[in-house]
Amino acid sequence: MMKAYLSAFRMRWKMELQYRGAVVGGVICQMFFGLILIALYRALYAGKPQTMPLSSVTTYVWLQQAFFRMLLASDADLLDKIRTGNIAYDLCRPLQLYGYYYSRVMAQKLLGSLLRAAPMLLFAALLPEGWGIRLPASLPAFCAAVLGLFLGLLCMCALENVTMGFTMRTLDSRGMQAMLNLLMMILCGNILPLTLFPESWQKVQKVITALPYAQLLDAPIRLYTGERALSAAPAALLLQAAWTAAIVGLGLLLWRSNQKRLILQGG
Amino acid sequence: MDTLKLYWKSMGILLKSQLQYPASFIMQTLAQLVMEGGELLAVILIVDRFDSLNQWMPGDLYFFFGIMSVTFYLTEFLGRGVTGAFPGMVRSGQLDTLLLRPRGVLTQVLCSAIDPRRIACIAVGTAALILGSNMAGVEWTPLKALALTEAILLGTLLVLGLFLIEAVLCIHSVKSVELTNALTYGGRSACQYPIDIFPRPLRMLFTVVAPFALTLHVPAAYILGKPLYGWPAWTAFVTPLAGAAAFWILYAVFQKAMKFYRSTGS
Repeated sequence: MMKAYLSAFRMRWKMELQYRGAVVGGVICQMFFGLILIALYRALYAGKPQTMPLSSVTTYVWLQQAFFRMLLASDADLLDKIRTGNIAYDLCRPLQLYGYYYSRVMAQKLLGSLLRAAPMLLFAALLPEGWGIRLPASLPAFCAAVLGLFLGLLCMCALENVTMGFTMRTLDSRGMQAMLNLLMMILCGNILPLTLFPESWQKVQKVITALPYAQLLDAPIRLYTGERALSAAPAALLLQAAWTAAIVGLGLLLWRSNQKRLILQGG
Repeated sequence: MDTLKLYWKSMGILLKSQLQYPASFIMQTLAQLVMEGGELLAVILIVDRFDSLNQWMPGDLYFFFGIMSVTFYLTEFLGRGVTGAFPGMVRSGQLDTLLLRPRGVLTQVLCSAIDPRRIACIAVGTAALILGSNMAGVEWTPLKALALTEAILLGTLLVLGLFLIEAVLCIHSVKSVELTNALTYGGRSACQYPIDIFPRPLRMLFTVVAPFALTLHVPAAYILGKPLYGWPAWTAFVTPLAGAAAFWILYAVFQKAMKFYRSTGS
């Protein structure tokens, strides 16, 4: 059984590898965006330094930019299949639909972000202090961050499948999806690092960092920069795992009930 | 004049066709509103934490955000043919039909698409402009209104011109067309903040290559009563012409590129 999901993963992985050329322009563009953001934060810091050091902010920005693809990539094939009714063929497969699409979207997100992250992090590492990415707080912190990033990936794929579950019901969810995307961009720290949210919001900050969106990239980045101490790492990873399990469960329920009441689009 | 009439007529027809599905239109417009609102929210959060950015006070920052947002999304609203539809027209061979008609290609491309959802982004930008000018205590005079109008109009020309680079690359079928995003979307992201906060290379890029600073920031700073680099008031009316000049140059390049256009044949 596991083998089938693995090969779905591998097929998608190979397909993504076909588009290496298209990645180059995107990566350079993303680096440029990173530089603009850092230039802005540098100017802001020059006026009013914060308790959080500038090098932590630049590290935060680069890691967010490097793994940006993880947040965005989604299975366009599946959307088409839902719209055209071709999903009927997938229903005939002796596989659980949820797992099949989970492995596909995971391959896409993992490879998509690795292909982009490698050159970007290299570039960021070559930049001088105060512009580039800082070394991790310690070796164990680095390991915890990598583990956290992987859990973040699992969580993101689960979130993606929940959105897909809703798309199956409503067919066209572009409006809702755009709003969910924005919510994610703000609450995962992509638009503004969560660590730079207003200081007066102590309580709101606590809630935001406990939400699933903060588990995607914010939690691993905090482990990397050492802002969350190593002693707090197990709790952080546990929270990530708990959210992932909960969202996978929600997705499974949603997909299962969808399959019972699924109306195929003819055409 | 005839061409302009044609353009407005097409816009009217396209608008009507887009409004045929009001529910979908309203949902997507709301999504745009939330999206641009999120961008503004980022500025608000930054202002809350940092109070100011060099000599620029919160009101100034909202004003800069607003002028950029109105200009950029006005272009996307009315110039969707260039900012969004063009690559698809090249790929599908639809551009061929335009070559047969007795009108300029660019006119027809502009007449072919509209994106009315952007009205939501323009609304957010306008709100930021009003909020900014109130907070900064701007005293409006006819001259200042003129400077703002000129900046926004010539700014749309500039953005349209920058998107023409993408069109030119599409015609030559060069890969990595995304690179031009650095100038267009990158320019929007960077230049929603005043230019003088950036280090020299970025400043040069957005002053000389993609002159957002000359077109939008010089007049905006004049309106706010804090002239950029201490330049005299008349510059606020002259430097935006850089936007028109950039458009003119890039339009000439586009015309040249069209001579190389080969149909995809489908």
